Amino acid sequence: MKTNATLLTAGIITILLILALCAGCTSPAPGGNETPGAGATTAPASGGNVLRIATTTSLENTGLLAELEQVYESETGVDLQFIAQGTGQSIDSGRRGDVDLVLVHAPALEQQFIDDGYGINPRCIAYNYFIIVGPESDPAGIANMTPVEAFRTLYAAGTNETAGVAFVSRGDNSGTHNQEKVLWEEAGYGYDTEIIDAGAWYVEAGKGMGDTLILANEQQAYTLSDEGTYLSFADRLDLVPVVAQGAELLNRYSAIAVNPEMHPDVNAEGAADFINWLISDETKQMIGEFGTEEFGKPLFTPLYAPECTEPPFNCTCAEPITT
Amino acid sequence: MNGNPIIEGFIEAIELIVTLNPQVVEITIRSLYISLTATFVATLIALPIGALIYFYEFRGKRAVVSTLQTLYALPTVIVGLLVFLFLSNIGPFGFLRLLYTPGGMIVAQTILIIPLLMGLTVAALSGIDRDKRYTITALGASRLQTVMTIIAEARFAVMAGVLLGFGRAIAEVGTVMIVGGNIRGATRVLTTAIALNTSMANYSLSIALGIILLGVALGVNIVLSLVQRR
Amino acid sequence: MAIIEAHDIKKSYGNLEVLHDVDLSVREGEILGLIGPSGSGKSTLLRILDLIEPANEGELSVFGIDTIADRGSWLDLRRRMGMLFQRPIVFNASVYDNVAMGLRYRRAPRDDIDRKVKDALEAVGLSRYIKSRATDLSGGEQQRVALSRVLVTDPEILFLDEPTANLDPTSTATIEAIVTRLNREANMTVVISTHDLAQGQRLAHRVGVMLEGMIAQTGASREIFHEPKDRRIARFVGVQNIVPGRVVSRSDGLTVVEARGKQILSTTPPPADEVEMIVRGEDISLHRREPGHEEAENLFPATVTAIEPTAPFVNVTVHCGCDLVALVTARRAETLGLREGIEVWVSLQAKAVHLIPQAEGGKLTDTG
Repeated sequence: MKTNATLLTAGIITILLILALCAGCTSPAPGGNETPGAGATTAPASGGNVLRIATTTSLENTGLLAELEQVYESETGVDLQFIAQGTGQSIDSGRRGDVDLVLVHAPALEQQFIDDGYGINPRCIAYNYFIIVGPESDPAGIANMTPVEAFRTLYAAGTNETAGVAFVSRGDNSGTHNQEKVLWEEAGYGYDTEIIDAGAWYVEAGKGMGDTLILANEQQAYTLSDEGTYLSFADRLDLVPVVAQGAELLNRYSAIAVNPEMHPDVNAEGAADFINWLISDETKQMIGEFGTEEFGKPLFTPLYAPECTEPPFNCTCAEPITT
Repeated sequence: MNGNPIIEGFIEAIELIVTLNPQVVEITIRSLYISLTATFVATLIALPIGALIYFYEFRGKRAVVSTLQTLYALPTVIVGLLVFLFLSNIGPFGFLRLLYTPGGMIVAQTILIIPLLMGLTVAALSGIDRDKRYTITALGASRLQTVMTIIAEARFAVMAGVLLGFGRAIAEVGTVMIVGGNIRGATRVLTTAIALNTSMANYSLSIALGIILLGVALGVNIVLSLVQRR
Repeated sequence: MAIIEAHDIKKSYGNLEVLHDVDLSVREGEILGLIGPSGSGKSTLLRILDLIEPANEGELSVFGIDTIADRGSWLDLRRRMGMLFQRPIVFNASVYDNVAMGLRYRRAPRDDIDRKVKDALEAVGLSRYIKSRATDLSGGEQQRVALSRVLVTDPEILFLDEPTANLDPTSTATIEAIVTRLNREANMTVVISTHDLAQGQRLAHRVGVMLEGMIAQTGASREIFHEPKDRRIARFVGVQNIVPGRVVSRSDGLTVVEARGKQILSTTPPPADEVEMIVRGEDISLHRREPGHEEAENLFPATVTAIEPTAPFVNVTVHCGCDLVALVTARRAETLGLREGIEVWVSLQAKAVHLIPQAEGGKLTDTG
């Protein structure tokens, strides 16, 4: 039926189709050098030019990854795709072979990943410290304590319902969350038995580092954060570092490739190349300088041999991967 | 915390939109591309099946229709989870390597809105009253001609359903976050970008993307009301 | 010759049986009126005759073809017929496209379609709306579009299902005129259902009364209106007086019926001992003075007990042993100076008194 309405319908559909096609053509363009596959439904995940990295929200939120991505992509033309998850989830993505490598910070989980045969060629890249941040008034009075003492005091204050004392946990099995668990255990509490249901003062956010900091800020609560994310958010937060000293607070980041013997589809070569690039001196220098301009101090300290092979690091940081 | 972040955010957001900030433009285009494609594919699948359900009498037809209506409200994260499990390397369709790609997101959104489109297609065709169907038959239409006439007559109601489906697809965050992974430059769309930038306290970018998302939703609604007035 | 022959047609929707054993034959070239109250099954019957939907049981032949045996013929047969529905049905497209639908289904050549559509719209006076959206037209205009849509297909049988039920008088007159002309000039067979008795009388050569899913009586409209077969039909065709009585004698072609002590003559042979007299109000004449007595006429004095205007007529109830309702024109009522309480003479021709057997249990309970 040749009516105005049909014409209108046809017009709208045509416009929608054209839009769709245009989007199909142009969407890869803004990214600069995405692969042609990025816009197509059959994008091969491990196609030579795409490298998929599961990583932690604390790295994503600092902006370091964006900078690394830009440099690496312009140098090599490889399309780095960072999927920001908690460390636990990232390692699971690696186990399933949904990504080519992981960039994480939970030594115990990493070791498990490697021991189970899914992770290969671990290289530690850089470190910083976890810090306990909280309101400036410090209602629990934990300033300048050791981390373990601080956690004990927090527990006591929290369970006594001391006014203004609350602790926000990531609650997402991330590296930071794992670190928090370790600290509670070292302070003498069973995490699953005593902490999770400790009371209203213990809040599980279930979110990334940035979200958790913002939540803690809104509630004027304490939380455990990595230094980098805290610094990159500091201008939007009233929270201050309350406890920042102590060997227990070391936060080490490592890159681990997914074992191609477990998942033949993964881009093993790309992963090796990227890890080798990460441990190169130029990259480490870049990581070591990242944030200086904006925050007044670097967010990460790169690891060099032989320091990295000694306690408390005990990891490989300089040997290139040979394939 | 300097100044009022909400007002500043708004001002910066307007700037980002007016100056066609490349990141904003890129995310918007990707969002439109993924949701339009999903809507298109879902339409291709749902319309014929919806028409079949309407035109053929079979046992359990009512159950099918009410199931579809229940699935209108299918939680997006459930679809996300299921598609994630299917597309993951350990799942049956892992070999397609669609997880964390726009293609995977299209699949997820397509699955998400197919029940809606099918249900609304059935509803649109049911909206053609009995007397109209009698009239078509009485005018000497063959079976195929009857079907074609009813579909043509229901075209605006069907289109309204398609627009609603598109609205649901572009506005949802659950499936694209899980299946797409929110990869910068590859699978980051309006909703996931808003979620991420809010968590990074980049309120201005969030607000800018939010305004665009609202604009798209508003546009869909305007077209919808134009269509429904027919 | 019968163009449609239906026997024992039954139709149910779910548990509801809408048609019970309908028998009907339609002659070629006639206008058959189906009258009956709403819900009596007229529309259902028309749809079955037009082969829009199948009956559950029964025999139906159309154009001499047994449609039950030959289901494959339905589309072809249906394309030789047309149907106009009670509610104006137009499709969301232009008037032109609406009218062209049937021809397009028949894959008529474009030139033919163009010419026929334009002629048809000319005939119903809608040429100026040819490009308008049909849904924007008024109800009456939509119904005329619907009529043109049927007529361009040159149906040999036209079914009209209460086609003017909701229309203004002008549209009604246009549609009636077109139908009458097509019947006369093109010898088109027409079956029209209506609950408007006057329309049935006006248009139809023959009338069928449908009551509760059955054809209760068929015949010339005079027959139906004056000699209904039973009380239900009498009620439906608007008989004001249904008076029970007993047959006392029969002589010289006249039956004498006694009702409440009064003897009334009828030309109907007695159908039973206990009868009901069927008398239309307009057949009763009222006089101020005793008129000359004519042969085969009932003449008796009575008292006016009620006067009820139903313009342009007046219903006058008179008492003469039994109550009778007479229908007189308002002018006549004025001339007679009718008012409650006065004495009048009632005259009633014996041939206007129709007798039916008394219904079981209907004895002396209701005088209608």
